[in-house]
Amino acid sequence: MIAIQDLNLILSGFRLQNINLRIHPNDFFAVIGPTGSGKSLLLEAIVGLRPIQSGRIYINNEDLTHTPPERRKLGIVYQDYALFSHLSVRKNIEFGLQYNHIQPQTGKKRFENLVETMGLGHLMHRKPGTLSGGEQQRVALARVLIIKPRAVLLDEPLSALDPTYQDEMKDLLKTLHRDWGTTFLLVSHNFADVLYLANQGAIMHEGRIEQQGATQELFEKPNSPFTAQFVGMKNFFKATIHKKRAVLDHLELHLDSISKNDHSYLGIRPEDILPVAAENHGQPNVFQGNLTKVVNKGFQFEIKLDVQGTRFSALWSKRTVLDLGLKTGTGLPIAFPPECLHTF
Amino acid sequence: MVSRNMLFWPAASLISLPLAFLILLPLSQMLIQPQLSDLKAAITDKQVLAALGRSLGTSLTATLVAVVFGTPLAYILARKQFWGKKLVEGLVDLPIMIPHPVIGIAILSVTGENYWLGRLLLAIGIRVMGTYTGIVLVLTFVGLPFYINTLKAGFEDIPVRVEKVSRSLGAGLYSTFFRVTFPLAWRSMILGAILCTARAISEFGAVVIVAYHPMTAPVLIFERFTAYGLKYSQPVACWLIIISLALFVCMRLLSREQEER
Repeated sequence: MIAIQDLNLILSGFRLQNINLRIHPNDFFAVIGPTGSGKSLLLEAIVGLRPIQSGRIYINNEDLTHTPPERRKLGIVYQDYALFSHLSVRKNIEFGLQYNHIQPQTGKKRFENLVETMGLGHLMHRKPGTLSGGEQQRVALARVLIIKPRAVLLDEPLSALDPTYQDEMKDLLKTLHRDWGTTFLLVSHNFADVLYLANQGAIMHEGRIEQQGATQELFEKPNSPFTAQFVGMKNFFKATIHKKRAVLDHLELHLDSISKNDHSYLGIRPEDILPVAAENHGQPNVFQGNLTKVVNKGFQFEIKLDVQGTRFSALWSKRTVLDLGLKTGTGLPIAFPPECLHTF
Repeated sequence: MVSRNMLFWPAASLISLPLAFLILLPLSQMLIQPQLSDLKAAITDKQVLAALGRSLGTSLTATLVAVVFGTPLAYILARKQFWGKKLVEGLVDLPIMIPHPVIGIAILSVTGENYWLGRLLLAIGIRVMGTYTGIVLVLTFVGLPFYINTLKAGFEDIPVRVEKVSRSLGAGLYSTFFRVTFPLAWRSMILGAILCTARAISEFGAVVIVAYHPMTAPVLIFERFTAYGLKYSQPVACWLIIISLALFVCMRLLSREQEER
């Protein structure tokens, strides 16, 4: 278990403020946030590479706040891999063995296991500079896993990779997490990656933790306007909310549960706004809308809608748009499913 | 019609040409003008051999001193932020800026018998004025900025993250420095050492103040020029150029081999 209590860190005018996190053993935990929110700084503070101003860091109930990084046994993998360019792939992977007092037999076994799992056998004598991004990433992971760290900390592990290789790497990360029985702590700005990889997570904004919980919960039940927008809730409005009713401009929407008294914002994801057949007209939360813009985004279309004076953004499949013959100026009934409406 | 772009590189080369002449013409004349018999006579002259050997020996010793004491300082300057850092960097650069006879005078003023440091050095048997030690001290002073600045830039080019990864893998600060940083900075160290040696081997102004005797090659060249004229100083200068060139080519080759490994 990694427990961070009231961590504060100041670096060149930027502050990590009162960070509290609990990461359970074998969790795949993600710290998510926009660029500059302090995610990587937090990662380095946990490893001991950044001095903190106050707070405590516990790993398996051991207070490591003032322990130097070389004695924390936390492996970090950076976005740019940070391989030792003067050493061969083999020597990169074996680097940590001697410092962690690993028996030669155990080290050899782990080495062979990792090389096989990662498919690195043919690269042993190559220097890192001659490897592709994906190969370097695998070497960096093997180099960390060979010491069996108490946790593997991954700083944006997918962002420097070719998009075609990202899915492969995501699967590899899942496999390694399952097979090595180690806690993984991932830092990312991409919520789709996090949803696929992590079971728990925290959203960071300007050096603070905004929300923490199961990743699915973060995605489905954001608890603040920032979190909502960050997890892709593009339709976000100031609204008059009372019990199971939300009013924005001339639109009255029904909610599926009674809202809290202090809620004054309403959000809905673009993919949850649906085109429906004409016979649904008059049903609750179904309104006539006009398409003001239809943008082809490849596999999907982004639709800009005007519903009774309120502008929405929707994401519809290519098939839906082509089957219904939708184009700018088309009018059709639009549904806002009550279970997809979120208030804050 | 000839495109203007096509003229860019020829124009740049044409503008550079006077500089090439400025460097090559006097040096090539220096190498061509002496007759073979003069060169042969110079290299068999014990005084010339001693001066050339002394120049090489003191310069390489000064470089060794710069490597031992300058490497940690270059690393600190590359990696750490601290109050007064700019001042320290300025002090490192100072020997480049001040006239070299002034450096000689400054060193004499603290190592002479009238100053406590000089008396202390004398008490433990170290004499600076007119000695090999004095020459090494002066050459270290003038060569140090070249070594430190080159190596500092080399350290700065090494991503801090590789050192951070090394620490997270269990290597302490010392192990990280010697197993990661040092091998990656090796080329910069060689380059810095070349520049430091080059500066030291060519030093005259400060050496002539601190140690006219025993004579280094530049002092001997100066003495022969003032006493006997151009014809007698040229062969010695020619040998100094040849030996320096050979030394630097060797060091460059060594650094390339290190990089290939």
